[in-house]
Amino acid sequence: MSLPARLLDSIASAAVREGLADAVYTRLATPIGTLLVIQGERGVVRVGFEDEPADRLLAAVAARLGPRIVASDRELAHTRDVLSAYFEGEDQRLDLPVDLALVRSPFRRSALTTLRDEVGPGQVVTYGGLAAKVGHPRAARAIGSACATNPVPIIVPCHRVVPGSGGVGSYAGGPERKRRLLAHEDAVVPAGAASARTPRPTA
Amino acid sequence: MSTIVLPPFWSLVEAHGDELLVHARRMAGAAHGEDVLQDALLRALRAYPQLRHAEHLRAWLYRVTTTTALDHLRARRREVLTDEPPVSVSEPEHYDDSFERLIGALPETARAALRLRFVEDLDYDRIAVRLGCSAVAARQRVSTALRTLRTQGIPT
Repeated sequence: MSLPARLLDSIASAAVREGLADAVYTRLATPIGTLLVIQGERGVVRVGFEDEPADRLLAAVAARLGPRIVASDRELAHTRDVLSAYFEGEDQRLDLPVDLALVRSPFRRSALTTLRDEVGPGQVVTYGGLAAKVGHPRAARAIGSACATNPVPIIVPCHRVVPGSGGVGSYAGGPERKRRLLAHEDAVVPAGAASARTPRPTA
Repeated sequence: MSTIVLPPFWSLVEAHGDELLVHARRMAGAAHGEDVLQDALLRALRAYPQLRHAEHLRAWLYRVTTTTALDHLRARRREVLTDEPPVSVSEPEHYDDSFERLIGALPETARAALRLRFVEDLDYDRIAVRLGCSAVAARQRVSTALRTLRTQGIPT
């Protein structure tokens, strides 16, 4: 039992119109599962995969932006359209405002900002390569942490960061989702130096 | 900044919205229930960050809905009777004052029943204990009092 969708929509839209909402969220069905998208005044603040508990994600945003959080597909129609265009292959740029308010560390914030600005659809970069772009060439592990805790996956494309040793590496949404996103973008994942050195199994 | 952690507002709406709509309809009349609930939830949203604790949030939403329903009843009554401007919106903290003013003309037994139900947010079993009657009688007193408010309007 819950309220009629029409009434919920009307309440949420009125809340946004009157400036009473600290954040708005929506759920979007995609080929990699239903995404939870939470957006504040300055941009998308959190994207969650369906296996992450929604109440925990919302509580984390409430602690940072405020507890006045409402749900509305209508108020996030533009965000939904841009994400849908990405998944349908119409426009892979994901041109949306992003708010990294949930990222406390300045290093992680700058790593994610650089990643978003410099690694476009279809491209990949290694952890070490992104570390170099951020200006800390030896900080590959810290880059790994920044990606692992990225609050806005897909839009901040941590799926494009792969290990230098080959393969797609780990991902908050699981390696299978990472593989599918990279395939969707027609990205070529390099075999990597380490795997190239591995002796071929004898037939 | 306070250190209390309030849950995301929409989780309250999802958890209690349907029962609050039932309450709003019972208080303001079926045709006005949705308007009253929308108004009540926007009032609640306005006050939400200022709450000093995160307990009894369901009871708090009931009180805001009750106050809003009574304001609607009063405003409607005025529209019918006079050309007076609409009543100003009361602050949630003062709901007790406006509530008392609104029920002031009812008999004391009716007022007591309404207070126990909507200010103290008791269920009918507890109201029965407080009033020294059966739960069925307690429910009747509350609904009779509400009907009186609705049909006779509220003197101001």
